[in-house]
Amino acid sequence: MVAAAGLAAYPAAQDIRLQPVALWLAVLGVFLLALALVARSPGGIGFALVGLGSAYAVLFAAEGSHLDRVTPVYAAGLLLVAELAFWSIEARVAAWSDPELVVWRLARLAMVCAGAAVLAAVVVADAAAANGGGGLLLEALGVAAAIGAVALVMALVRRSTVDSGA
Amino acid sequence: MTRAATGKLRVYVVVAGVGLLAALALGRPELAALAAPFAVFAAIGLAVARPVEVKVQAELEHERQLEGRLVTAWLEVTATEPIERLELLLDLDDGLEPETPNPILIRLGRGERRELELPLRCQQWGTYEVGKVVWRARDAFGLLVYEGTAGERHWLKVYPHGETVQRLLRPLETQAFAGNQVARNRGEGIEFADLRPFTVGDRVRRVNWRATARRGEPWVNETHPERNSDIVLFLDTFAEARRDDLGTLDLGVRAAASLAALYLREKDRVGLVSFGGFLNWLTVASGTTQLYRIVDSLLDAEIMLSYAWKDLDVIPTRTLPPRALVIALSPLLDERAVGALLDLRARGFDLAVVELSPYSFVPEGKSDTERLAYRLWRLRREALRSKYASLGVPIVEWREGVPMEAVVEEVRAFRRHARVLRA
Repeated sequence: MVAAAGLAAYPAAQDIRLQPVALWLAVLGVFLLALALVARSPGGIGFALVGLGSAYAVLFAAEGSHLDRVTPVYAAGLLLVAELAFWSIEARVAAWSDPELVVWRLARLAMVCAGAAVLAAVVVADAAAANGGGGLLLEALGVAAAIGAVALVMALVRRSTVDSGA
Repeated sequence: MTRAATGKLRVYVVVAGVGLLAALALGRPELAALAAPFAVFAAIGLAVARPVEVKVQAELEHERQLEGRLVTAWLEVTATEPIERLELLLDLDDGLEPETPNPILIRLGRGERRELELPLRCQQWGTYEVGKVVWRARDAFGLLVYEGTAGERHWLKVYPHGETVQRLLRPLETQAFAGNQVARNRGEGIEFADLRPFTVGDRVRRVNWRATARRGEPWVNETHPERNSDIVLFLDTFAEARRDDLGTLDLGVRAAASLAALYLREKDRVGLVSFGGFLNWLTVASGTTQLYRIVDSLLDAEIMLSYAWKDLDVIPTRTLPPRALVIALSPLLDERAVGALLDLRARGFDLAVVELSPYSFVPEGKSDTERLAYRLWRLRREALRSKYASLGVPIVEWREGVPMEAVVEEVRAFRRHARVLRA
């Protein structure tokens, strides 16, 4: 919740034209996350993540065309919020028989967040390099790539949900 | 083994999809940057995920244990793939309580073999199946969950704990074999019975010299012989009154096991009749083997609903030997058991009824009608108790928490003062 509040504070605190909308979406995101944690609902966490992402998107609509340098940190923070939230709603086990398990998991979480920041930075840097080039053909290619990426992941999900039968 | 996607995987895919499409729609690369980690996370997680198979070997410290004691279960766990988060739940029946947390959460490396120790408290007598383990493993990214069962079944017999009784209830008549009980009749023995004039054939060692000197003619001692007795434990399994943790059948089984052990220690022969929906019997015998037979048979005792009318005719004749003391352990809730006990008395058996009191298991009720029904029910039970007493059958109510010693003493007191009717 602290990480989510920190993320929500960034767009909400900016002095922009659509600041009330950003604030409203940020509060909604944090509220949805709190509800999802109480209800232990994975879907609720999804809505909360979309809410926090939307609050950040309002910032671009207000700021105009220049790129935001905080994006890698925000991306890592969003993934951190998601990971911690799913960790929170996992089925409770009465005791951790392996104490090093928590340490191992925290270390892996830090690595994942660092990787997310690097990946987001690469995406932003790539966008900055390609700024002004583009055109309709490149945009169509981007749409196809995005749809293809989502379809690929969906296919992997479908394959994974089938019982192995072993 | 089954494999399924977690909610986390679905959410990550949706967030990635929404983010990427929003980035395209709004023309903002920052949104793609926000969505990309989720998509990459899901893609890498699924690409590296390997199905796992967990093997568990379970062993028990003892196959038999007493109620209230501990028994340790050892689990040896191996897996085909490294598992970051493996939950193991030892499937336990009611009556076995783990002393340490169950499920257990561990991390398992490739080829690693872990030995886990799980102490179990035997809360309730009975036969339990132990060793089946339900496991659940998640992949390193928490996107997929694998579930399955493993382990071999072992049987654990939990024997009821014993009641302490200083003096046992003795039958009116003894049997022909040597034992620890002083018989009522006279014969070769140690216990002094009476004096009588010397007759031809009496041994000189039996002459009581003091009495002889006083009376001027030879008098001899008469003695009681030491004999054994036959005890039949009659357990009523037609019906019971019960709450979550305890029932009248539990009281009956504990009493029967204790009495069997105590009587067998006194070299008596003990038999068992479990009279209910399922009829079970053991003919009278003595020795340690018979004790194990009886206790094992008691562990199988359960209330089985049956509408079939049963009376003493269904019990084999040799199960109820003549001159045996029949100790009935019954809550007196079923007409068939009540009738069978009356029938036993009518056939001349030396009978004592230990009424396993159902009162602590039956609430009085809240409404006036319920309380009235409760009082009527108690009155009917009182009338039944009076009926047994009028037939010369000692009947003692055994309530939860009362030591068995008190019950036995009450029966002894009844038998001292009651006039025994003979059929």
